[in-house]
Amino acid sequence: MSATTTAPAPQAAAIPRGAIGPRLISAFSGTTGLVLKLVCLGASNAFAGWALFVLLSRHHWLASALLLVATLGIDVVYLGPRALPLKFLIPGTIFLVAFQVFPIIYTVEVAFTNYSTGHIITKPDAIKQIETTSLQPPANGKTYTMAVARSASGTLTLLLSDDATHKLYAGTTKGLAPLPAGTATVSSGQISAAKGYTILHGLALFNLDKTLQTFVVPVGKAGIRPETTTTAVELEPTLRYDARRDVFVRISDGAVFRDDGRGEYARAGEALEPGWKTGVGFRNFSRIAHDPLVRQPFIRVFVWTFAFAAGTVFLSFALGLFLAVALDKRGLRFQRFYRSIIVVPYAIPAFLSVLVWAGLLNDQFGLINRLFHTSVPWLFDANWAKVSCILVSAWLTVPYFFLVSMGALQAIPEELTEAARVDGGGPLQIFRRVTLPLLLAAVGPLLVSSFAFNFNNFNNIYFLTAGGPPQANSSIAGSTDILISYTYKLALAAGKGNDFALASAMTIIIFFITAALSTIGFARTRVLSNA
Amino acid sequence: MSSRKRILALLTVVVAGFLAVLAGSIHSARAAGPTLTIWVDQNRKDAVTQLANEWAAKNTGVTVNVVVKDFGSIRDNLGTVDASTAPDVIVGAHDWTGQLAANGLVEPIYLSAAVKKQFPAYTLNAFSYGVAVKKLYGVPTQIENIGLVVNTGLVKVPTTFAQLEQEALAYKKKVHGPVGIAVQQGSGGDAYHMYPFFSGLGGYIFGTNSAGNLDPSNIGVANKAFLKNAPLVDKWNKEGLINSAVDSSTAQNAFLKKQAAFWITGPWNSQLLEQSGLKFKVVQMPKIVAASVPFLGVQGFMVTKYADPHGVGGLAEDFVSNYVTTPQAQLALALANGRYPANTTAGKQVHDPVLAEFGTAGAGGVPMPNIPQMNSVWSDLGAAWVKATKGAGATKASVAFTAAARSIADKIG
Repeated sequence: MSATTTAPAPQAAAIPRGAIGPRLISAFSGTTGLVLKLVCLGASNAFAGWALFVLLSRHHWLASALLLVATLGIDVVYLGPRALPLKFLIPGTIFLVAFQVFPIIYTVEVAFTNYSTGHIITKPDAIKQIETTSLQPPANGKTYTMAVARSASGTLTLLLSDDATHKLYAGTTKGLAPLPAGTATVSSGQISAAKGYTILHGLALFNLDKTLQTFVVPVGKAGIRPETTTTAVELEPTLRYDARRDVFVRISDGAVFRDDGRGEYARAGEALEPGWKTGVGFRNFSRIAHDPLVRQPFIRVFVWTFAFAAGTVFLSFALGLFLAVALDKRGLRFQRFYRSIIVVPYAIPAFLSVLVWAGLLNDQFGLINRLFHTSVPWLFDANWAKVSCILVSAWLTVPYFFLVSMGALQAIPEELTEAARVDGGGPLQIFRRVTLPLLLAAVGPLLVSSFAFNFNNFNNIYFLTAGGPPQANSSIAGSTDILISYTYKLALAAGKGNDFALASAMTIIIFFITAALSTIGFARTRVLSNA
Repeated sequence: MSSRKRILALLTVVVAGFLAVLAGSIHSARAAGPTLTIWVDQNRKDAVTQLANEWAAKNTGVTVNVVVKDFGSIRDNLGTVDASTAPDVIVGAHDWTGQLAANGLVEPIYLSAAVKKQFPAYTLNAFSYGVAVKKLYGVPTQIENIGLVVNTGLVKVPTTFAQLEQEALAYKKKVHGPVGIAVQQGSGGDAYHMYPFFSGLGGYIFGTNSAGNLDPSNIGVANKAFLKNAPLVDKWNKEGLINSAVDSSTAQNAFLKKQAAFWITGPWNSQLLEQSGLKFKVVQMPKIVAASVPFLGVQGFMVTKYADPHGVGGLAEDFVSNYVTTPQAQLALALANGRYPANTTAGKQVHDPVLAEFGTAGAGGVPMPNIPQMNSVWSDLGAAWVKATKGAGATKASVAFTAAARSIADKIG
């Protein structure tokens, strides 16, 4: 391959320029290099130290331990004389772990939980929220304007003014008592002073927030609770939490809501909101296998995904190779110009191009139908939409295979094609028997990886058709939905909001499918290169 | 290098790490006193910062921390944010209420009767949610709805739907325009913009149960009254009154370039309309069979579940229930966003005529359902409209909407 790289700068000017490599090495060995190394290691340790501090303060013990081990390991590796390969591999490994390994582990973990709308928080938080939302204003419940004060003996008291009747009361945890007339002054609805009480203001009041959150003035079955810093509301609990049995009991009729093991307190189809995030084992996977809503479009979507990826790769490779062969002619005029415009689709950001194509292919107002006076329903008919997806995707991939084919073609030694011509082969025969096999051996792995990429090409499908047009019978999967866009729609539109756990489970299944197809593909290309 | 140098190097890096830990501990010990963290979007940042500072001046000792986030991310990140950096108050749209409350991320708010009287009942309902009993989870600040924009230089303002149909089609024929009424759909559909047609034909999304709460088991997408009027959709499709190939940019261009005399859009385009130089008026679409009311979008403030653990629960509720509800705050917040305020006293002080016209166009409107099941509805309802108004080869409306109703029921389960 090195024989085909462009010729280096002429030898005449080589002596000062050619020595840059060794000169850099000698400049950075010794003290400069050592200082640089210590500065970088110091920076990495400083970063790790700060991160460790944050992690420990939030009680992430496992992450802290891993970080400590990794940092010390990095120090040892870079300060020791041995382990040279590791010194080069560590930066890449860090990014690999952070951006590939960790998300995969997290996705697998989520797939075995019930993480979805209504199951986001932890169980203790959910219990607290259920208790808070179960408080109801009783019939004729009152609201009060409140001033928080301390009595002469230091007891925390709420000085309350009924919003409706403007009667004044003093409330403590023991109960409510009316304030004797004339002992309190009211200004603009607020009690500003009262005999025998010191009213709290500013920080003295704000720092009592946590105490006030649980402060209740009992009034019959209900209680008066502080709401804002200046108002209080009479509320009555409708559910009672029994910590010993871990159940909620409805006060009105004694109905018992039990933890159903699926992250909710429920009873005969009625569930209390909110629920919490918990592990549910293989439930998501069994749902994919058994729920008709999820399973029914799966086969159709899988077949289309395969067809889309295969069609895109085949079409773009064929066109790219054709263009590479056509432009390979030595002495062709404007060769550079042709090559530049072929590469243009590759240079524009893909999702921008796809959005523009979505406008061009609009069957009523798009440029394509107007220019050619056709009325093809490019994006609105199920089959034409599939054709459009493959065409647009291929248009975006042709430059890639053009460049790759050009390079691979130049790598084929000329002697082989010369020998074939001498042996009396026509151009097509030479291409089929000599050029193509050698080309496929080199480009084979790229075809497989392009296939795997297009198998999960969310952007091209979603921005062009949003997975539409809608299918007559299926609800979520449209006609051009591929597995990954179908998973995305499941995650966002599956009944009661977002279902991230189900989407994660589907993602794992897609991974196994893609890995299996890629493995088969790579095995086939190895056969090609050995042959 | 020699072992002495190696030891020196090791000591240096260890010391560097230690210093970093010290720096970290100093940095985190700086915050003192209660801090109220508010998440807002870019549009509202200045108005909210000013309001928050005025409120903080009245509550000495409190620091306010206004954080700008992308509007959609406020809802998406609220569940996954770390508790130490979590917000105490957020700005939000009313249709987030169900999802946030079902996730246990927002706290109930109790308003006094005097404050409640200053808000139209539907704005408070928009922020209420509850399976058995409804509770209020947010305070509304602004309302928005779409309206029918009529180019009064080209046609007369229609008072009946028959007049609208006739004027639109006559104008379309005259200029060989693409469509009679420019309303956006696109291949993905747009149930929000098509809602006035939907409600005018007798459709509704979710019915209400005896307690007045939205009942997800009562889906009105293909109810009897609507199906009886569905053939009208087929008629409109055949005569080219509406067409689902029109997307948002096509609709906008058609109206601005005078290829269509009617445009259905919202107050976010009011500046565009004012600068276009066209003479226009915004009205509610005339009644078809029932009143053609639009969806109402209400935005407001909510208190999150993180306020109590932060020790600022009472302060957060004070800011939202007592301060944001005042007419001055309401007016400032709504105008900062170019919308109509929810507070009726503040509403009387709005002088922008276009905004007022949009407000009148929303009379009797229906707040978008805020229960989490609504997610399943948008795509199916939009798809039904796309299929029924495709032009040639469109599905019969009664078939399309019945299929949509069935698929919504399947998804909700």
